[in-house]
Amino acid sequence: MKKYDQISGMVWLLFAIYICIESLRLPLGSWRDPGPGFLPLGAGICLGILSAIAFSQARSRVEERARGGWYSEERWKSLLLILAVLFTYALFLDFLGFLVSTFILLLMLFRFVEPQKWVVAVGGSALASIASYVVFELWLKTQLPRGILGF
Amino acid sequence: MEFLSNLFMAFSVACQPNNLFFCFIGVLIGTLVGVLPGLGPVATISLLLPSTFQLTPVAALIMLAGIFYGAMYGGSTTSILVNIPGEAASVVTCLDGYQMARKGRAGPALGISAFGSFIAGTLSVIAIMLIAPPLANMALKFGPPEYFTLMFLGLTVLTYLASGSMVKALMMACVGIFLGTIGTDIISGLERFTYRSYTLMDGLGLVPVIMGLFGISEVLLNIDEQAAQRDIYETKISNLFPNRRDWRISIFPILRGSLIGFFLGILPGGGAVIASFGAYAFEKRISDHPEKFGSGAIEGVASPEAANNAASQGAFIPLLTLGIPANVVMAILLGALLIHGIKPGPLLMKQNPNVFWGIIGSMYIGNVMLLILNLPLIGVWVKILKIPYPILFPLILLFCLIGSYSLNNNVVEVMIMIFFGIVGFLMKKFGYEGAPLILAFVLSPLMENALRQSLIMSHGSFSIFFTRPIAVTFFVVALFLLVSPLIPGLKKRPKGGDIV
Repeated sequence: MKKYDQISGMVWLLFAIYICIESLRLPLGSWRDPGPGFLPLGAGICLGILSAIAFSQARSRVEERARGGWYSEERWKSLLLILAVLFTYALFLDFLGFLVSTFILLLMLFRFVEPQKWVVAVGGSALASIASYVVFELWLKTQLPRGILGF
Repeated sequence: MEFLSNLFMAFSVACQPNNLFFCFIGVLIGTLVGVLPGLGPVATISLLLPSTFQLTPVAALIMLAGIFYGAMYGGSTTSILVNIPGEAASVVTCLDGYQMARKGRAGPALGISAFGSFIAGTLSVIAIMLIAPPLANMALKFGPPEYFTLMFLGLTVLTYLASGSMVKALMMACVGIFLGTIGTDIISGLERFTYRSYTLMDGLGLVPVIMGLFGISEVLLNIDEQAAQRDIYETKISNLFPNRRDWRISIFPILRGSLIGFFLGILPGGGAVIASFGAYAFEKRISDHPEKFGSGAIEGVASPEAANNAASQGAFIPLLTLGIPANVVMAILLGALLIHGIKPGPLLMKQNPNVFWGIIGSMYIGNVMLLILNLPLIGVWVKILKIPYPILFPLILLFCLIGSYSLNNNVVEVMIMIFFGIVGFLMKKFGYEGAPLILAFVLSPLMENALRQSLIMSHGSFSIFFTRPIAVTFFVVALFLLVSPLIPGLKKRPKGGDIV
């Protein structure tokens, strides 16, 4: 945990520096009339100080017994696959329309992340995408994207 | 007399067929997501928020509130039968509930947790009716400095009670405040951190951020840790009605749990999780036989279950009377009220009495429905528990995607949600909590307004926060909590779980 706290402290410190630099480009106003950059700058400075504290606390701490890595060796491929599928879905949703893209999304998730039989994967994806279409589009009147195919 | 007329109003609004129907839908969905581990009330309420836009404000709020307290009932079922908390407020129930189930006493454990929740829910509704009107009257005297210091106190309490490092919790509060400033500044009209994105001009959406941090990240964590396999304790569930001895042991823990839960629920930053931990610890401390706790003591189920239900209802008080959300769920409900054009705060009770009393009345009716849903229908919920995670997680992801898209029919918000899913996953892996971030994110615009208005009022002098009695009280308490970890002898902070 010690090493991780150092890494995360460093990342937040960099983020705090980014917030401060960007806030300084906004009008800060005065104490009498604080401007739009006032609060973000304050938050950035506080975050910076706290990250520095977290970093130095982690440095001076004696390392407790080692824990497993922050990602598991066998599982990271599944995680990347899920994220890739989700991002692709978001990119193509408007183009392909809700029904088609949702069917493909679910098929990928059912079949390749925790592999199910093809019958289960195809059937489940079809059922779930049609059911959600009926509930959200037809019943709740949510406007789901129609895409080039018109549904 | 006023109490009776309020009571009458509460029930006449809550009993309208439309409101009854949405109350039922709410508690039904609440029980369902409470039972299912990996899908909590926070993600569910944000998912269903867009679909309530067509309802009347009262019906929408009644349904969303029902999901929240319904999840408290459902969560205990999973804790008792599977030893996995269905949602965070039921973590403590695992300790004795699962042991009771292993000893063949699953029935009384489920029964006492449902009855305990019911009793606590009933008492809380009465307490809300008594406390809310005077509190709202007092809040009418609040100006920007009081609101600012109160919100500051709320954030401090939340970081103080955080389960991990307080420094990390404060860091998350800072990040939340920063995220809340993204968008067009209301006072000057200038854009902040938007980088010319149309989506960001209106500010970062609450729903995509919450669903990312609590929905998507939870799925990623479960996949990562392969929490997929779970063992349902195969037992015949009989005798849901606790016997006379069970009642004798449990009744006082239920009453004490209700009291502890209610007050921890009102406290900004408190909440159902802290309440259930607090009530359990208290019972164990005053018990004549503390060694029995953890091996199936029925009071170890009764008290925290009463507490988490009382807390989830007590949390409505600061929202409805002050307009300040005490926890993340209340923050989403605040968003829901604003979307429906209702401004929660001291004037709510006068301007929209049907909303205020309708929600209160529905909570009581919802509790009765939950008792019926959870006891005779327990078998149905057990069956749902048997759905394997590999089937469940794509559906959870799909719900999150639809929820974040349908809010504004905007794919950018879907991207934002996925991004915050990754952030939330990394935060949990590196030991940072999401709750302070979300609460700060919601409070940030309100705090900024209050701060800037206060400074305009005082011509730039910070003394305004120290010269007004209510403001200075809030400020001193907050400051005490902030520095108390540094004072030797006061080092030990109470430990809660994840706050949501």
